[in-house]
Amino acid sequence: MRLKPAAFLPELLRHIFKKPATVQYPFEKLSVPGDFRGTPVLKPELCIVCRSCVRDCPAFAIEITELSAEEKRYRMIIHNDRCVHCAQCAESCPTKAITMNNEFEIATDSRLKLKTEYIYTRPKKATQQSTEK
Amino acid sequence: MKRIKIPVGPQHPALKEPISLRMTIEGEVIKDADIRLGYNHRGIEKLAESKTYIQNLYLTERICGICSHSHTTCFAQGVEALLGLEVPKRGLYLRTLVAELERIHSHLLWFGIAAHEAGFDSLFMYTWRDREVVMDILEIISGNRVHYAINTIGGVRRDLDNSQKGRILEGIEFLKKRTGYYTNLGTTEPTFVARTAGIGLLPKEKAISLCAVGPTLRASGVPSDVRKDDPYAAYSELPFDVCTADTCDVLARVVVRVKELIESYKMIEFIIKNLPSGDVKVKAPRRIKEGEVVSRYEAPRGENIHYIKSNGTDKPERLKVRAPTLGNYPATIEMLKNGYVADIPLIFAAIDPCICCAERFVEITDSRGYRNIITMNEIKRRYPSRHINKDYIWPL
Repeated sequence: MRLKPAAFLPELLRHIFKKPATVQYPFEKLSVPGDFRGTPVLKPELCIVCRSCVRDCPAFAIEITELSAEEKRYRMIIHNDRCVHCAQCAESCPTKAITMNNEFEIATDSRLKLKTEYIYTRPKKATQQSTEK
Repeated sequence: MKRIKIPVGPQHPALKEPISLRMTIEGEVIKDADIRLGYNHRGIEKLAESKTYIQNLYLTERICGICSHSHTTCFAQGVEALLGLEVPKRGLYLRTLVAELERIHSHLLWFGIAAHEAGFDSLFMYTWRDREVVMDILEIISGNRVHYAINTIGGVRRDLDNSQKGRILEGIEFLKKRTGYYTNLGTTEPTFVARTAGIGLLPKEKAISLCAVGPTLRASGVPSDVRKDDPYAAYSELPFDVCTADTCDVLARVVVRVKELIESYKMIEFIIKNLPSGDVKVKAPRRIKEGEVVSRYEAPRGENIHYIKSNGTDKPERLKVRAPTLGNYPATIEMLKNGYVADIPLIFAAIDPCICCAERFVEITDSRGYRNIITMNEIKRRYPSRHINKDYIWPL
């Protein structure tokens, strides 16, 4: 093939009059797609405490502790500082109690601020359903 | 002339990741080279033994940031082979679609880096701008730009809808035009050709005997590609050619990768137009019976091999990863020999090195050959402040 000196010049000149390709980020934001894997959020009224999210989480970011056995009260902590945002918890959940939201600007000055705690009672109806299965 | 040894790395402006290249030079000519690894070891294989197969999918994904899909697919294929699972056709096609999109993104990234090392920074910025198109497509499909997490054992996790298909075809159409322009530019721009032609020679016989893999091997005129030789996923049904070049230098590696980009566009258009209907995954059991398997995959950088040994539990007994960059190191030494010191970054970048991919096992020995193993007690003795200070919060 024949070599052409300054083959790049026309492209270069054309770009002088173009708008920048980048977005001025903090002032101007791009939207994320609908099923973006952001921060995991729990809907406590749906959780049946099957612990499949705890079992499958590759980053050990979900913790469930029993507060009282008679009242069926539980505490779930989602450690968003350990979370790798793979959405396996949302997929493993049989009742779709965990979903991923669209939040991606989660930087803070302390990792303790990224912890979310949920204290809830296991719903009665859901337990019946799970025992029936 | 007197021979002297110079170190390049582990921390060096020419290298993107830590690796030590020890050059023996005579004047300005490299006479011998030695590569030392182990600056980026993370203990992933050992960690994999303590995690379940589902968790390991996300761990293997993090072996590499650029070819993340290669490692999960290779791992998932191996586990499916152990289970004897039949993955639905639609799942295999979607897996292949993401694999080819990843190849485009990896090759465009590499093309930019090669241009940067050759001193052509405008081309570097243009290719990286165009790479954003394919990154956005991957984000639309999988929900993330880098770690797609699309694979699961028994298929893929997400399906495609028509609007996504339209966006993919639109993006591919734009990239096709740009790649045509780059092909033209890479082969006709005199400064770029002069910088890359005749540098880092790897003759065909040497490439075969030193077990080079991927585009590095194909640039030496050997038509070897796992996608053709041992088809996995949906590759046996896709129309594509194995791209080779005969000049055996850095320019040949550029040409092979640009040709592969064009083949990938063809494959993606075929997949979108001929996507079979049906399920995307089948349910997989958690426990896997005893057995061992070797899984092969053609990553953007070359052949990727995973060896998995299962022992009847839900965790693997052993996972061994042979990343393509490791296969290319012996050939790199051959390429560097009789070259100039100024060509080191270009030659090393031409194999598309991913150093953290290739860092698997480290054994520290001193010059007399003694093993130097540091025990936990020794660490506590050496770093007493954290051990003694009970109030110290470990970052976990």
